[in-house]
Amino acid sequence: MSSSSGLTFKLHPLVIVNISDHYTRIKAQQSGSAPRPLPPAPRVYGCVLGVQTGRTVEIFNSFELHYDATKNVLDRAFLESKQEQYKKVFPKYDVLGWYSTGSDIQDSDMLIHKALTDINESPVYLLLNPTINHAQKDLPISIFESELHVIEGVPSLIFVNASYTIETVEAERISVDHVAHIKPSDGSSAATQLAAHLTGMHSAIKMLNSRIRVLHHHLVSIQKGEVPYEHSLLRQVSSLVRRLPAIDSSRFQDDFVMEYNDTLLMTYLATITKCSSTMNELVDKFNTAYDKQNRRPGHSTFI
Amino acid sequence: MEASTSSAAVARQTWEIENNIPMDTPSGDSDAIFEYDDAAQSAILQQKPWTRDPHYFKNVKISALALLKMVVHARSGGTIEIMGLMQGKTDGETIIIMDAFALPVEGTETRVNAQADAYEYMVQYSQTNKQVGRLENVVGWYHSHPGYGCWLSGIDVSTQMLNQTYQEPFLAVVIDPTRTVSAGKVEIGAFRTYPQGHKPPDEPPSEYQTIPLNKIEDFGVHYKQYYSLDITYFKSTLDSHLLDLLWNKYWVNTLSSSPLLGNRDYVAGQVADLAEKLEQAESQLAHSGRMGGFFMPVQRKKEEESQLAKISRDSSKITVEQLHGLMSQVIKDTLFNSVTPATTALGLSLDMSGPEPMVET
Repeated sequence: MSSSSGLTFKLHPLVIVNISDHYTRIKAQQSGSAPRPLPPAPRVYGCVLGVQTGRTVEIFNSFELHYDATKNVLDRAFLESKQEQYKKVFPKYDVLGWYSTGSDIQDSDMLIHKALTDINESPVYLLLNPTINHAQKDLPISIFESELHVIEGVPSLIFVNASYTIETVEAERISVDHVAHIKPSDGSSAATQLAAHLTGMHSAIKMLNSRIRVLHHHLVSIQKGEVPYEHSLLRQVSSLVRRLPAIDSSRFQDDFVMEYNDTLLMTYLATITKCSSTMNELVDKFNTAYDKQNRRPGHSTFI
Repeated sequence: MEASTSSAAVARQTWEIENNIPMDTPSGDSDAIFEYDDAAQSAILQQKPWTRDPHYFKNVKISALALLKMVVHARSGGTIEIMGLMQGKTDGETIIIMDAFALPVEGTETRVNAQADAYEYMVQYSQTNKQVGRLENVVGWYHSHPGYGCWLSGIDVSTQMLNQTYQEPFLAVVIDPTRTVSAGKVEIGAFRTYPQGHKPPDEPPSEYQTIPLNKIEDFGVHYKQYYSLDITYFKSTLDSHLLDLLWNKYWVNTLSSSPLLGNRDYVAGQVADLAEKLEQAESQLAHSGRMGGFFMPVQRKKEEESQLAKISRDSSKITVEQLHGLMSQVIKDTLFNSVTPATTALGLSLDMSGPEPMVET
């Protein structure tokens, strides 16, 4: 069942890479010393940090936790010292919840969840599935919230799934892009930079196009009657279509044209600078070439 | 959906082959880099091969996590310099950076005081980290130069020389978050200083970058005292898998990013700086042009390009970045704004083959 608390969750890629690294590290260290066949993949635990403003929960960062799985004991002192350290560097972030790896929720998870309620009254639980499944198209990350439900007459806390969106700061996006697609790092020539930039835009637009195609295909099949009529979906599609044009005011047009002109002005200035530099070099070369003729005193200037 | 991901993969492979990037060994082995062999590392520390050759370390490998952390931290500082430490290990002539963490001090001129505070934090952090499986030692420090390029200033050079005396092996990394966002690619540099008095072999100057006028003196005095290392990146198999999937979600952010808006201040600053440089160049050239016309050509033979040529290169660079930003804006405008109510009826029934604009005006 899905969450009904109405909170929107935003996740930053840094958290994902953090958790992935933590897991890979522990796995590598265990398998480096253990004999084959490998022991089952260990579960790793950690805390997630971020900011909660109103109904939006934005998860920026994370750090590891020390958890003894055999005794089910969470190292509190460790948690607190780590929290303090991170507060010094990132004073705005609070502990919002915790994370672990695995394919599904386990019963012991609720215990950890409850333990964290004294830091944050309603912590979030982020689960990452580290098994690599190439057929899967979706991120293997789920966010759970705890909700009080009455089951068989007994009120108990259970986990409910919540939806989330990925949010990036511009710098984050560029570095993720850089590492993910190994963009040319020495693109000093303008041509490669341009190609890289346009390729990025092109891939993004292709994604948009394919998503719209899927929608279109679905709508066509509704029209043909193959798929049952769904009012909510149609309402969403209709509102989406009505959102275009995105901005259609004269003020926007004015600002847009002004920005366009500013850029053209910059290009003009740059071209003039280049021109004068070339001219300067030309004159220098000319002077050098005709130098000898000028040495004799009394000789008039060259032409 | 299938087509787009496979063609992206094909494009990447083509690019990798063209640029001679060594293909990652299949899954099991590429994660081996994450194993930490304590005995081997201590043995290397005993041997100290770097004392024999000041130019010993030539390459740096940075993990995806470390890069992401450093860039995000640098950007969060805004226009203030930030610093942090990096953890990792060495492997022959390569320094491998596995992780990075931020230090709760801001880069100021009085770096000596900051060191004491930072040291305490570092010790505590390393201890807690060891408990959760981060066994590597600190192998370097990083800091940011927001807006003025990746190089070592005078203070940086002396700090690094001190580090290289007492904390070897140690690496200095500089990140410029402003230029990263402006140029759309990560601006990062890794450096090691030469010991005092060492005369480096005459290397060709590394990739040219513009330095603002007020810093150019600091750059010029010290640039011969250190050398830069090549940087490559690596990531684990799980990282690659996750990042691939991540693309499915954040293509939206790529489209919605608008570098022009975010970088107005920086661009304005660059243009002003260029104007000042032009004035300087003008006075210099006017002065030397008239009377030194005969002497100049001889002297300038071995010199690098003249002031004016450098300025024109800088201006082209900043203009190109600006143009890229504008291109994105125009593309977005065509995509989303060129629909008028009259054409929406036609929109849905258009043939959507290939990457053409979705709606025609």
